[in-house]
Amino acid sequence: MEINLKNVWHSYDGSTFVLRNIDLLFRNSGVYLIVGPNGSGKTTLLKITSLIIKPSRGENIINGKSFWSLDERERENLRSNIIYVHDKPILVRGNVRHNLELGMKLKKKRDRTLIEYYIDRYKLRDLERKSANKLSAGQAKVITLIRALSLKPEVLILDEPFTFLDSQRSEMLIEDIEDIVEKEKGLVIIATHYMYKELKEISTQQIEIINGEIQRTQQ
Amino acid sequence: MVESIFSVTLRSLYISSAASFFAFISAVILSLIASRAEKKKADAILGIFEALVGIPTTAIGLLIYMLLFPGGPLGSLRILYTPLAIIIGEIFVALPIAYTTMFRHFQSLRGTMRELVLSLGVPEKHTSSILLRELSPVLVSSYLTSFSRAIGELGVALIAGGGIEGYTNVLTTAIAIQSSIGNYEYAIWLGLILIFMTIVLTLLLKFIGEYLIWK
Repeated sequence: MEINLKNVWHSYDGSTFVLRNIDLLFRNSGVYLIVGPNGSGKTTLLKITSLIIKPSRGENIINGKSFWSLDERERENLRSNIIYVHDKPILVRGNVRHNLELGMKLKKKRDRTLIEYYIDRYKLRDLERKSANKLSAGQAKVITLIRALSLKPEVLILDEPFTFLDSQRSEMLIEDIEDIVEKEKGLVIIATHYMYKELKEISTQQIEIINGEIQRTQQ
Repeated sequence: MVESIFSVTLRSLYISSAASFFAFISAVILSLIASRAEKKKADAILGIFEALVGIPTTAIGLLIYMLLFPGGPLGSLRILYTPLAIIIGEIFVALPIAYTTMFRHFQSLRGTMRELVLSLGVPEKHTSSILLRELSPVLVSSYLTSFSRAIGELGVALIAGGGIEGYTNVLTTAIAIQSSIGNYEYAIWLGLILIFMTIVLTLLLKFIGEYLIWK
């Protein structure tokens, strides 16, 4: 899936623009890193790329089609391939297992084997029946990441995925990201403050954003 | 010979449960619609309902009476002084409180749940079901508040229901009528039952809602 942001501007209140004149091309496969200080517009950029927010100006072109001019059905089709993980984990009422399977349940594509695999891989077996509101920030973050990974998306967009994660789980996540790109030929876009060496090595492009504008891109 | 306490209690439960159920369902539907509306419009609707919470039940009873009396616009329905008349009136009594206790929660959580649904690549239409599940304790509490308001009101039951023994007599009308004729012992028993029932039902439903269904 190719995502092309063309001359994108965005404002939440109609007067102050948090994104200005963004032109970016995310090709079919690869890891794109977005870096920049707090408040630079990274999250807004990711939400626009994830098709959650409609930009105030400009176009979001997915596989050559201007997304926001498509009809609802086509939009739902395209959107179903893009999964976004928030920087602050959003969990729902219920236990860990319910939260892990939430995406699959809603999409009516349950794959218990895959969930079991991630539960073992990220050592969550003891937490499976624990209520989601009793989790630590790190545990909640892992749940939202696994929930996204288990959907096997064509495009995975991660907002600060390493915040709250211990080093062991961060390394596992980088390996999983590598798998998505190399084995599944997927696209992963990550906004992060933690620039791991391994992550840098596998990245296709690094994009620096400051005050809502792209400062530089580096291959 | 006065009517048995058991049959008055049973009638009270049936009428108030029906009224609070319809009020609750209406409040949920209204909240789902209003939470999608522009904030200014939603706040204006909420303001109206907040004002309606304080309206005396006797005023609502009078309004229902005027609508349903034989010469009134809905007089041909012949439902004045029937349990149905009380149910209709109590819906209006319970609806504002049900709506005001749940709407703010719908408003504050809808955006987050919408983002969650979209972030999982799922159609936006699934937002409502996730939102309702997420707000289940609020909904239980809101239902209980509307039930308490319905079962404890007197104005509608007396004016639109008439307190007819064996037919429209409910706990509050029975208390009022019996204490006015000096039958204090009977009235006190009814009062105690009303208080006991409200407390037990509240605790029971809260427990079910919080711990058994959703945890």
